[in-house]
Amino acid sequence: MESCVQKKKYLAKDYKSELKPIWCPGCGDYTVLNAITRALAEMALPPEEVAVVSGIGCSSRIPAYTSVYGFHGVHGRALPVATGLKLARPDLTVLVTGGDGDGFSIGGNHFLHACRRNVDLTYIVMDNQVYGMTKGQASPTTAPDWEGSKLTPEGTGINPFQPLVVGLASGANFIARVSASDPVNMAQIIVEAVRHPGFSLVQVLSPCVTFRPEQAVWRDTVRTAVVDYTDDAARAARRLMTDDGFNVGKVLYKGSRPPYRPEFEVSEGSIGELEARFAL
Amino acid sequence: MSEATPQDQPINSLGVLLAHALAMENDAADRYGELADQMEMHRKKDVASIFRRLEKAEKKHLVELEELTAEMDLPHISPWDFKWGGESPEAIAVDRVSYQMSVRGAILLALDHEKQAYGFYSRVAAQTSDSEVRRLARQFADEELQHVAWLEEWRDKCGPDDEMPFDDPDPPLSQE
Repeated sequence: MESCVQKKKYLAKDYKSELKPIWCPGCGDYTVLNAITRALAEMALPPEEVAVVSGIGCSSRIPAYTSVYGFHGVHGRALPVATGLKLARPDLTVLVTGGDGDGFSIGGNHFLHACRRNVDLTYIVMDNQVYGMTKGQASPTTAPDWEGSKLTPEGTGINPFQPLVVGLASGANFIARVSASDPVNMAQIIVEAVRHPGFSLVQVLSPCVTFRPEQAVWRDTVRTAVVDYTDDAARAARRLMTDDGFNVGKVLYKGSRPPYRPEFEVSEGSIGELEARFAL
Repeated sequence: MSEATPQDQPINSLGVLLAHALAMENDAADRYGELADQMEMHRKKDVASIFRRLEKAEKKHLVELEELTAEMDLPHISPWDFKWGGESPEAIAVDRVSYQMSVRGAILLALDHEKQAYGFYSRVAAQTSDSEVRRLARQFADEELQHVAWLEEWRDKCGPDDEMPFDDPDPPLSQE
C-alpha cells in the first residue's frame, strides 16, 4: 500500500557498484542481486551501514557488485567472517551470500553453528544444485540420480542435503524459500528476513542455466506456499516432512529465540591482566 | 468468487499513476541496460545493441517523467504493492535471456514486454474514474505503442542470420 507522501531516499541502483556481473545470461543470481538491492532501498539503509559477506562460487561474487561494504572471503567461511563482523559491529546490517556448495559442503559445519548461535545475520543461499564455477559437479543438494557430471556418471546415489530441515533443527530463527523467477517477492522476503532478529536463512531456487539447463522449468514448477508462517518449530518441521522443495514465496518459520549478542567488557587493564583471566 | 487483490483496484490518483510510471520506466531502463551489459560481456554485440537502443529510449521517457514530477510529492509504493503485481510489465525477466539468443529472439522478447506495458496503461485508462489519470494513461500507452512500432519494424527487417541462435563452437561442458 502507498504510505504517506514522501520521496524515496534510495533507489535500488544506489546499492550497485560500477562492476558489471560476469554471470551467464539467464542466471538466477542476477535476480538475487536485484532483489537484494531492492530490499535495501526499501529499507532505506545507508550503504555505509550495510555489509555483504561471501565465500567462493558464482553467487559469492555478489559483494563486488554492490556498493555497500563487502568481503569476498574464503571458500565456505562466509558465515564465521560475518559472525565476527556482526559481533564487532552490531550497528551494521550484515548479509551473507553464497551457493549450496559453499554453504552446505565446504562450509557445512559453519552453517550448523551459525544457525545454533543465532547471531543477527541474513544468509541468502542461491541453490542451483551444482558447482557451477568449476564447470558442473554434483553439490550437496544435487539429486542422487543426476548424471550430468563425468565425476558422477551414474549420479551420486546420495540423498541430497535438506537445507531448511537442517537449518530448523540447528536453530535458525527465520526460514524461507523463494524463487529466482519472482524477484519482487524475493525482495519482500529479504526485507522480512533482515528485520527479524537472529539468524535468518533464505533459500533461493536459482537456476544454473549453463550446467543445469533443465532447471529452466523451475519457473513453472514452483508454487506459492499455501500456508503462512508458523512460530512453532515442530509444526514447521512437519510441513518440511511433506515438502517437495518447490513451495516458495512465503516465510516458513519465524522463531522468537533472542539473538546472540555477547556483552564485551572494555578492559582498561594491562595485557598481563587480560592474560591472567585466561591463564590455566 | 475470488477475493479482489490490490492489482484489481483502479488507479484514481495522478500521484499513484506517476509513481507507477516512474517505477516502470526506471525498471525498464535498468533492465535493458543490464541485458545489454550481459550481452556485451559475452561478446554478443548485435543483441547487445538492441537492448542498448531500448535502454536509451526508456531513459528518455524517464527523464521526461522526472521533469514532470520534479515538484510533486509522490506516494512511496513498495515494489510488491504496485498494481501490476510481480515485476513491472516492461522489464524483461532475467531468466528469459540466453547468451545464444538471436537478434530476432531479443526483439520478440522486448516486443512482448512493450506490449505488456501498453496493456497496463490501457487498462488503467479504461478502469479509472479520474479524467486526468485517464488522459495521462492514454498518453503513456501511446508512447509504449511507439516502442511497439519500432520493434515491429526491426523484427520485419530481420534477415535469416538474425533468426539463427548463436552457435557456440566451444560450449560449456561438464569436465571430460
